[in-house]
Amino acid sequence: MTNAAYRRAQLESLVEAQGGCRATPPLLLKADPYFDLAGEEFGRRLLLTTDATGAEYCLRPDFTLPIVADYIANGAGIPAAFSYLGPIFRQRDTGPAEFEQAGVELLAQPDGDIALDQVLTFARAALSIYGVVPQVRLGGVGLFEALLVQADMPDAWRPRIRHRFGHTEAMSRLLTRLEAAPDTAGAENARLEDLVEDITARMVSAGLSLSEGRTPEEIARRYLEQQTLDAAQVPPATLALLRDYLAISGDVLTALRQIEELADKHRLMLGAPLRTLRRHLDQLGEARVVFDASFSPRLDYYTGIVFEMRGAGGAVLASGGQYDRLLERLGATAPIAASGCALWVDRLEAEAAR
Amino acid sequence: MTTLTLAVPSKGRLEELTRDWFASRGLTITRPGGARSYLGAVEGAPDITVRFFPASEIARELIRGTIDLGVTGLDLIHETSEQGPQSVLAAGELDFGHADVVVAVPDAWIDVTHMHDLADVASDFRSRHGRWMRIATKYVTITRQHFARAGIAEYRIVESLGATEAAPASGVADIVVDITSTGSTLAANGLRVLEDGVMLKSQACLFAARAAVTENKRDAFIALFEQIGLHGRIPS
Repeated sequence: MTNAAYRRAQLESLVEAQGGCRATPPLLLKADPYFDLAGEEFGRRLLLTTDATGAEYCLRPDFTLPIVADYIANGAGIPAAFSYLGPIFRQRDTGPAEFEQAGVELLAQPDGDIALDQVLTFARAALSIYGVVPQVRLGGVGLFEALLVQADMPDAWRPRIRHRFGHTEAMSRLLTRLEAAPDTAGAENARLEDLVEDITARMVSAGLSLSEGRTPEEIARRYLEQQTLDAAQVPPATLALLRDYLAISGDVLTALRQIEELADKHRLMLGAPLRTLRRHLDQLGEARVVFDASFSPRLDYYTGIVFEMRGAGGAVLASGGQYDRLLERLGATAPIAASGCALWVDRLEAEAAR
Repeated sequence: MTTLTLAVPSKGRLEELTRDWFASRGLTITRPGGARSYLGAVEGAPDITVRFFPASEIARELIRGTIDLGVTGLDLIHETSEQGPQSVLAAGELDFGHADVVVAVPDAWIDVTHMHDLADVASDFRSRHGRWMRIATKYVTITRQHFARAGIAEYRIVESLGATEAAPASGVADIVVDITSTGSTLAANGLRVLEDGVMLKSQACLFAARAAVTENKRDAFIALFEQIGLHGRIPS
């Protein structure tokens, strides 16, 4: 066996050895669930085709969605583990559109922390087949959510700030806007009924349905809420806290200490999520670990802890984390713990060949 | 002798204005076969082949590098491919065909004046209405890029190949991304452009295909550009 074939065979047996079910979803999948779950940003990476009725299909762009959808269809709730290795298809700037991914999905496990440890162990084992001692980048979605709940600000701002977590520029633009002097000059005291009447008239004259999309009442309420928000500014101390927090990035132990100091200063209780993060460090062995407070995938179903691992070449070789809200988004009736990761096999091989 | 292929919009006002622009710079484009012929020439310049194409095909062929030069809209270069702008050199702005690609919402959305309002509305649209916010547009690539920069991910595009401004009233979409020169069509349909909703300011431009500017063609490009007063537009 050549070195590459030998590594590939070792990866194959690592995937087999995950003790769960080896998942082999079809190559041709309905495109709509991907657009529904991940939106246009991911949608533009799909390789699309249509059938005779015009229904859109895509070549399998990842394993997680079909595995999880299938799991839900067969009755969610029972602990399950899936592993996979096979081709996926995405439009990329460089490299062929067909490439291999391997990974694991641990669903409804009794202890989400242990499940994440298993995922980290799997990723480390796979990387070591290719001789990679990774740089690990950790992100704390749970930590940020805990901070956001406790930080002093009008409630309506919390979802707006949460929504921008993981998008550095959009977050910075929002904070800059909040830091600017409050502009309350235009605040007239409109009554809800008057606004609804006015908006209804505008919608009717433009031929818009009053019930299909945004309703007059929804628009009027958000309009009033905006006015309240313009008046009810986020305190400068909270904005400074958010700026300071999001700027924390570096060696994990230093970063976590900085977060503790920040929490002390602002009287926030972040002990539990910080302890959880520390516990997971044991699974990462000799790898260099960085904690980046602003790091999060842009998809709102991620929870808890997220990670990516890079090699000397700088490319992401493995990425994953916890996504307890994913199963609900795909139709499960209750939140179900989920964690997993995906490995980029072609990048691993490139790393080994360095 | 090196031959350059120049693509010119094949019909209507765009063709007329393009030919006028070249004529005013001493380059008379002829179309011997009339409107049904797709091959033309430049008087006194046998080393330039003129082809008449629809503007969208000119953008596509420039990006592929199968033609050397072409006149088309900047919007089409951005829309045809994400790699479009990197694949061409904008040699000159022709100062006609001005239009903006804009984001417009129903005038009744009095709470939405900026992109950041739209981000808020999009983020909980799905939980309120059981579906994503829908955007009607023919500018799929430009919309995706611009919305990604604005941090908006929660929407679906409904491709619209005509009368995009009617999409909200017909219930096909909630908002539109459309091209407009005066905004009057949008306003007539009860739509309002967001204050920071101009995504691209477009006009007709003369583009060179980056892939075509090779060693043996460089002199021909430079000679042509000198002739029409676009000095120094080809990097050495």
